[in-house]
Amino acid sequence: LYIVDFADTSIVITEPYFTFSSIQESMNEILFEEYQFQSVLRINAGSLSAHRYFHENNAELCCIVVDSGFSSTHIVPHCRGRKMKEGICRINVGGKLLTNHLKEIISYRQLHVMDETYVINQVKEDVCYVSQDFYKDMETAQLKGEDNTVMREYVLPDFSSIKKGFCKPREEMNFTGKYKTGEQILRLTNERFAVPEMLFHPSDIGIQEMGIPEALVNSINNMPEEMQPHFYKNIVLTGGNALFPGYRDRVYKEVRALAPVEYQVSVALPQNPVCYPWEGGKLLAENPDFEEMVVTREDYEENGHYVCEEKFDI
Amino acid sequence: QLLKSRQDINPSQACRVRSQDPNQRRVLDSATRQRRLTRQLEALEKDNFQDDPHASLPQLVKRLPQFDESNESGKRRKKTRGDHFKQRFRKNFQTLLEEEDLSVSEGPNYLTAFAEPSKFPQRHFCAVCGFPSNYTCVSCGARYCCVRCLGTHHETRCLKWTV
Repeated sequence: LYIVDFADTSIVITEPYFTFSSIQESMNEILFEEYQFQSVLRINAGSLSAHRYFHENNAELCCIVVDSGFSSTHIVPHCRGRKMKEGICRINVGGKLLTNHLKEIISYRQLHVMDETYVINQVKEDVCYVSQDFYKDMETAQLKGEDNTVMREYVLPDFSSIKKGFCKPREEMNFTGKYKTGEQILRLTNERFAVPEMLFHPSDIGIQEMGIPEALVNSINNMPEEMQPHFYKNIVLTGGNALFPGYRDRVYKEVRALAPVEYQVSVALPQNPVCYPWEGGKLLAENPDFEEMVVTREDYEENGHYVCEEKFDI
Repeated sequence: QLLKSRQDINPSQACRVRSQDPNQRRVLDSATRQRRLTRQLEALEKDNFQDDPHASLPQLVKRLPQFDESNESGKRRKKTRGDHFKQRFRKNFQTLLEEEDLSVSEGPNYLTAFAEPSKFPQRHFCAVCGFPSNYTCVSCGARYCCVRCLGTHHETRCLKWTV
C-alpha cells in the first residue's frame, strides 16, 4: 500500500524524556545509516502535544502536559513552545504496572492468569474506571447481591466459540448460584477502581512516589511565580491511561483541592488522547519552521552525533 | 529482637492448625519485609516479552488488535526474539544508567526527574480481598481486614516464599 522510499522522506519520531546519550546515538545510527532517511526529527511526545494545544488555543502561553503511557507517566511544563526541564516529573506507574498488578490479584483471588498479558490488558480496558469517591465505592463494592452496583462479570475468551472476552451486561448477571453455561467468568468488584487508583496513589502498592495530582501541583510550584496561574489553566491529559472513564474529572477534583483558591484550574482531555501527539506532529510537519528543526543526512554525515545533540531538544 | 525459633512439626496436629504459641511462630524482621516488598515491586515492572500462549491456535475470523498477527510471524518471532534480545541487549537498564554517570552532570536529568514520596499517608489494603484493612499479620507483615481473610492468608501465602 504505502511504498515509501526512505531516501526521500523525512521522519518525525518520538522518544522518552532524558534518554541516555548511548541510546540517542544508536537511534541516530539506525535512522541515518541503516534506513538512510533524508531528514530526521527526534522529539519528545509531550512537545508535539504542546504544539497541538497551542495551535488550538493561540492566546495561551504556557501549558502542562501529563503523558501517562505504558511504562511511566511524565508531567512536563511547556512555556512558549519550549519544555522546561526543571519541572519535568516522572512517576514510575504506567499501563504495564497496572496490567501486571491486575494479573497478580486475579491470579491470587480467582484464576491463574499470569501468562495472559493480552487478555488481562483487554479486561483492564473494558472494565476498569477511575472512581470519584474512593471510600464510598469501596463500601458499595462490599454489599451483597443487587445492591452492589460496582460488581461486573467478565467472560473470558476460550478461542473456540468466544473469540474475544466481553463484559456481561447487568441484566444477565447471575448473583446467586453457579454459572449454568460453560463459560469462564471473572467477578470483579473493587479491582475495577482500585487498579487505576494506583495512578493517583502509587503508595497503595508500596511505591513511594507522588500520584498524578500531587506531582502536578509539585511541578507547578517549582516554576516561577508569575507563570503558575497560566499552568493551572492549561492542563492537558494525553496517553493511553487517559482513556479510563472518570479520569479527567478525578484529576480536576484533586488538583482543584490542592491548588490555591485564587487560581483558575482547567483540565483538558482531547478527543483521542493516544493520537494527540501524532496530530501535533502532523501540524509540525506542515509548519514552515520545520525545515530548520530537522537534521538532514548530509549534516549528519559531516558532523556526526554532535549536530543532533545540538539541534534536538531531548 | 528476633523470634526466629525452629518450627516444631508436631505429627499429631494437622498442618492447617497453626500454633499460636509465640515460641513456635516465625516472625520476619523489617529488613526481610522490605526485601520482600522490593521483590514484589520489581516483579510488577517486568516487561512480559513472551509469546502469546494462544498464538498457535487457528486463525481468528475477525482480526483483533491485541493478539499476534498471524501464525507465521508468531513462529518467526519465536526464533529471533530470544536470541535477538540476548545478543543486543546484554546491558540491561541498570548498566546503562550507571554508564551515564548522571550524578556528575549538572542540570535536570533522568535522576532528578524522579517524583518524590507523597505527603499523604499510605493507605493499606487487605492482601486477600482488596478492601481497606485494619490489621497486620504478625509473622510476615501482610495486611488483612477480617479473621476469614487471615485464615486464607495463613493457608496460602504466609511465609511461603521467604527470602
